[in-house]
Amino acid sequence: MFEALGLMVFYENMLALNNVSLTCGEHQIIGVFGANSAGKSTLMYTLSGLMLDIAKKEQRAGGERITIRGQLNYRGGDIMNLRPSERARAGIILCPERRRIFPESSVLENLRIASYLATPQQAAETLEFVFNLFPPLTKITKRLGGFLSGGEQQMLAIGRTLMAQPKLLLLDEPLLGLSPAIQYWLAKAIKEIAEQRGAAIIVAEQYARPIMPIIHYGYILENGSAVVEGDKDQLMNNPDVKSAYFGA
Amino acid sequence: MEILVYGIINSVTLALMALGFTLVYGVSRLPNFAHGALYVLTGYITWQLLNRLGLPYFLAGFLSLALVGGVGALMYHFILERIRGMAISEIIASYAIGLAILEGLRWAGLKGGTFILKPFIEGSLNIAGVSVDYQRVLAVVLGAALVGFLWLFVNQTRLGLALKGMAQDERAAMTLGIDSDRMAVVAMALGSIFAGVAALVLMPLGSIIVESGYQVLILAVAVCIVGGLGSWTGALLAAFVIGFAQILTVSYLGAHWQMVVALVAIILTLVLRPSGLFGKQKELEERV
Repeated sequence: MFEALGLMVFYENMLALNNVSLTCGEHQIIGVFGANSAGKSTLMYTLSGLMLDIAKKEQRAGGERITIRGQLNYRGGDIMNLRPSERARAGIILCPERRRIFPESSVLENLRIASYLATPQQAAETLEFVFNLFPPLTKITKRLGGFLSGGEQQMLAIGRTLMAQPKLLLLDEPLLGLSPAIQYWLAKAIKEIAEQRGAAIIVAEQYARPIMPIIHYGYILENGSAVVEGDKDQLMNNPDVKSAYFGA
Repeated sequence: MEILVYGIINSVTLALMALGFTLVYGVSRLPNFAHGALYVLTGYITWQLLNRLGLPYFLAGFLSLALVGGVGALMYHFILERIRGMAISEIIASYAIGLAILEGLRWAGLKGGTFILKPFIEGSLNIAGVSVDYQRVLAVVLGAALVGFLWLFVNQTRLGLALKGMAQDERAAMTLGIDSDRMAVVAMALGSIFAGVAALVLMPLGSIIVESGYQVLILAVAVCIVGGLGSWTGALLAAFVIGFAQILTVSYLGAHWQMVVALVAIILTLVLRPSGLFGKQKELEERV
């Protein structure tokens, strides 16, 4: 369904992504694991198209020269040149790092803004799904986004992406800054989304432990390269991965 | 009583002038320094449609609003889009466009006295012992209607909500399928139309002159700085603060101090509270 081939991203001469390829089938959950500065966010920006926008703005302002190479195949076409909003329209929705909730809008309004691409029927149906998936949100629909706790923000951020009717959901560090209990609970919710919404999901995360059990296939990113890949058993039994991510 | 009535009228007038400017800035962080020029342009086009083509008043008004909205949209699409995000260039370019329009109109023969729009309704009204002409009453009613329309549009429609999202976090909005440039075009068109509405309502109170373009720009900027740039509630509140301050100055100090009030308000705000009355955007940002 989705396939990235030989992605390369340069910031000036610095190589941020080095020949990364990955594939994601319908309804699959794919994990991308790596430490800080391994290239996870660069990868997610490249997949969602935000990198094009960042590169364009840097070029206008005479800043860093950002070069993007490679191929992105999605449902039979190359989407490398589509703008972020066009990719979103095609069903590729990013849940950005640090959530980026609309701080001056209430929880409900955040979700209503996000239903820009949905028909009224889809919006009503998805809203119900989001509130069932994340019951804590139903109690704070009127609270402003800027006043939410980290966990609430993350639920809202994921709920917001669902309102945009994703076919391929990109989650960038969804567990960042959350307590372990909430991390496991969110991982379960992510699995439910893949099963019940029929969406394919790519998760980029530092915390492999809660995410590993729910993925179909995973990649380990290091210094911009995918150094190890495999299904979850292969990854969990790999001695390097074990020592780096599971402390064994 | 006179102070109250004229204070309200003056405040709504200021709000009318500033709403378009703050709308564009709020959505696209684009300071549209051609705002005043669009204001004068609307008056000029309406006058031409009325007197050259002999169109009825309402038709001429609607047509010129549509034209000015188009001018705003084209201005973004062909010029401002390419320098988006570079604040200095945006200011220079939009100010240059404004100068070109205003001085172009002067060249085309626009000067005070001859270019006069009739009031929609002649006559005056007595409110609690103060005599007010209908045109000023209409300005207040239309101003309130415009604020109401803006509120409904931004809170209840798909496009309005998208604008609101774009205003708060461009990147997050983009990931949800909201196109940055398209929203900026919409905001520019709407902002220009708002400038046009202000012109149609306020110009019959005087004549159409080039200088009012600069004056409207100064007042709009003053209101937005005092209210907090990009904050719509802030702009409304600031319009009332400056509006009443002006009327108080006029009645106690004399009419020629009126313009100074807006300028002093800018300086005081920048010294005491640089983010404006409603600089809450910043406070919230720090919490997130």
